[in-house]
This record gives sequence, structure tokens and C-alpha cells, in this order.
Amino acid sequence: MRQVLSLILIFWAGLAAAAPASYTIEAAKSKVGFETDFGPDKITGAMPVTQADLVLDFASVAKCTVKVTLDISNATASFPFASQALKGPKVLDAKTYPTITFASTSVKAKGDGAEVTGALTIRGVTKPAVLQAQIYRQDGFQEGDYSHLSILLTGSVQRSDFGATGWADMVGDQVRLRILARIARVE
Amino acid sequence: MAWGNRDGFGVISRVIHWGMALGILFMLALGTRLEFLQPGLSNLWLYGLHKTVGISLLGLVVLRLIWHRISPPPAPIGGVPLWQERLAIWAHRALYGLLLAVPLSGWVYSSATGLDVMFADRWVMPALAPVSEAWEKAGFAVHGWLTKLLAALVLLHVAGALKRAFAGDGTLRRMIRGQ
Repeated sequence: MRQVLSLILIFWAGLAAAAPASYTIEAAKSKVGFETDFGPDKITGAMPVTQADLVLDFASVAKCTVKVTLDISNATASFPFASQALKGPKVLDAKTYPTITFASTSVKAKGDGAEVTGALTIRGVTKPAVLQAQIYRQDGFQEGDYSHLSILLTGSVQRSDFGATGWADMVGDQVRLRILARIARVE
Repeated sequence: MAWGNRDGFGVISRVIHWGMALGILFMLALGTRLEFLQPGLSNLWLYGLHKTVGISLLGLVVLRLIWHRISPPPAPIGGVPLWQERLAIWAHRALYGLLLAVPLSGWVYSSATGLDVMFADRWVMPALAPVSEAWEKAGFAVHGWLTKLLAALVLLHVAGALKRAFAGDGTLRRMIRGQ
């Protein structure tokens, strides 16, 4: 995450008008981070991104689309019991539902970023979700070079909406998401 | 020395008895505390400790039952009304039964939650029940009720031992000194 801070924010407005471009994820450099409350403490964790397809249109934000698939079987949380609980039948049930998917339905400019509304599927239950998006230049790439970008998506979900109700008396219902996707343009 | 005889308890029986007594009192206190605790990162280790001590106590009671076969405990000293002698015999049987059932029910409950039951934070114990809410609820309820019954029997056991110590017979003394 520290790397993100070193990245320079690119304003949507500052992105030169260009044709819609397809991007694919650099999975090894991307991470879905989450956080929830555990008594007076927090449980944090991460899930690898299996697949992400993005179309970015810097001239018309509404034409952007995002589709992401996450790998639950390899998700981890801050201590071993939390990892096991996360993937077990009472929370994400990774055996039955090995993936979480998100597909955008609308994208609109908001502030210096965008608001992405989409369909989020967890445990086979699909509900609308809203994520805030910010685009950054990746480390080591020149200004104006859009071949590699970083997208930071933040938002939160109520896990009970998706039936992931295990340990509700100990672990918070709200799960805060911080998704850092490093993407590369498909040439 | 290690072996008991017709009149007394050997050192092995005594060490297991008092070791378990300490462990049981500790677990009654710890278990009661855990029931009302808000779990967090700072106290998570207490749940692990409860499981480790519980499995240790289960091991000790099995060891003790085996040891009874090898070196049978002495007969009751007697000199009390028949109903008291019978009560003592049944209280002991119930104590042994509960010393097996209480840790096993806790183990069943823990297994049913879907989390590994760890011994000493290091070894994963086999699951004794399927991951199921029904097993979890039943296991927890049984664990709680059997524990209350065990606590009542421990009180009865202590009261009986003290009563006989005050009466001046050697029942308590032979569990302390052997003879």
C-alpha cells in the first residue's frame, strides 16, 4: 500500500481524450484488501484477483466498464483462525463458492475519481454495490503514458446481505474493501 | 512408592489427583470468564489455553483410569452410614464420567464451529464432529450443563472429604500423604 502513496494521482480531467482502451490485470501486483471489526480490534486480510477486464474511456467516463473475479480459496486474514473462519461454510464457503465477482453496471465521474456501481456476487448472492475509484500512474512510468495504470477501489459491504453471517456476535457486519488493481493496456 | 496398596494411594495417583484438581478449578474459572468475554486479538490466546488445558485434563483422566487397572485404588475406609458410602461411590463414578464428557463435549463444540482445535497452539487435533450449526449449538449447551453438574459434584466431593477429615478418619490424609 505504501507504493500507492508514492504514486501520483492522475485526474480524470487530465487524461487526454483517447479511444476506449481495454486493460487486463497484473494479478501479481494487485490486491484486494479488506478490514472488519473484531471486538476492539480489526481483522484485515487479502484475496488474490483471478481475473479483471476493464475498458477505460478517458473521454467519456460513463463508457468505462469493470469486471473482476476474486479467488476465495487463496484468501488470507490476519491470523490463522480468521483465515479458516473466512473461507469456512459460515462465512464465504469457499468450497461451494470459490469466487467473488463484481461487474459494473454504471460508472460516473465523481470528484477527482469515479463512482462505480455494479453487481457484486458473494456466496452466490448478487446485490448492488458501489465502489469509489481513483486512477493513478504506476511507479516507473512517465506522465501521459497510459499503458500501465493503478486503480484504487474503495467501498464497503454488509456481509449479512450475502448470507455470510458466521461469528456475527464477535466479528463486525460491515466489511471495508480497499482494492488496488494494477492494470496493463491490452495492445 | 509409586504403587498404591490396600490402604493408601501411591504417589502417581496423588500427583494426578491434585494436578487434575488444580486444572479443573482453573478451567471452571477460565471457562466462566470466556463465556462473558468479548473476543479480541489480545485475549484470543485464552481460548487456545482453554482447549489445551481441557485436552490435557482429558488425557490425565484417561491415564488415571488406566492406572486404576494397574494399581487399584484402596477400598473406602468405612465407618460411615451405608447411604453415605453409596453416595461416595456414585459421586466418584459420576465425576469420572463428567471428566470424560466435559472435555469431549467442548471438543465436539469446537470442531462443529469449523475452526481447528489446536493443542498447545501447535498440533491440530482431529475434528470430533461435522461442521454444523446444530452440532455447534448442542455441543455448547451440553458442555455448559455438564460443567455446571461437574462443579456441583466437585463441591460435593470437597464437602465429603472435609466432613471425613473433621471426623478424624484418614480419607483426606491418605490422598495427601499416601497412607
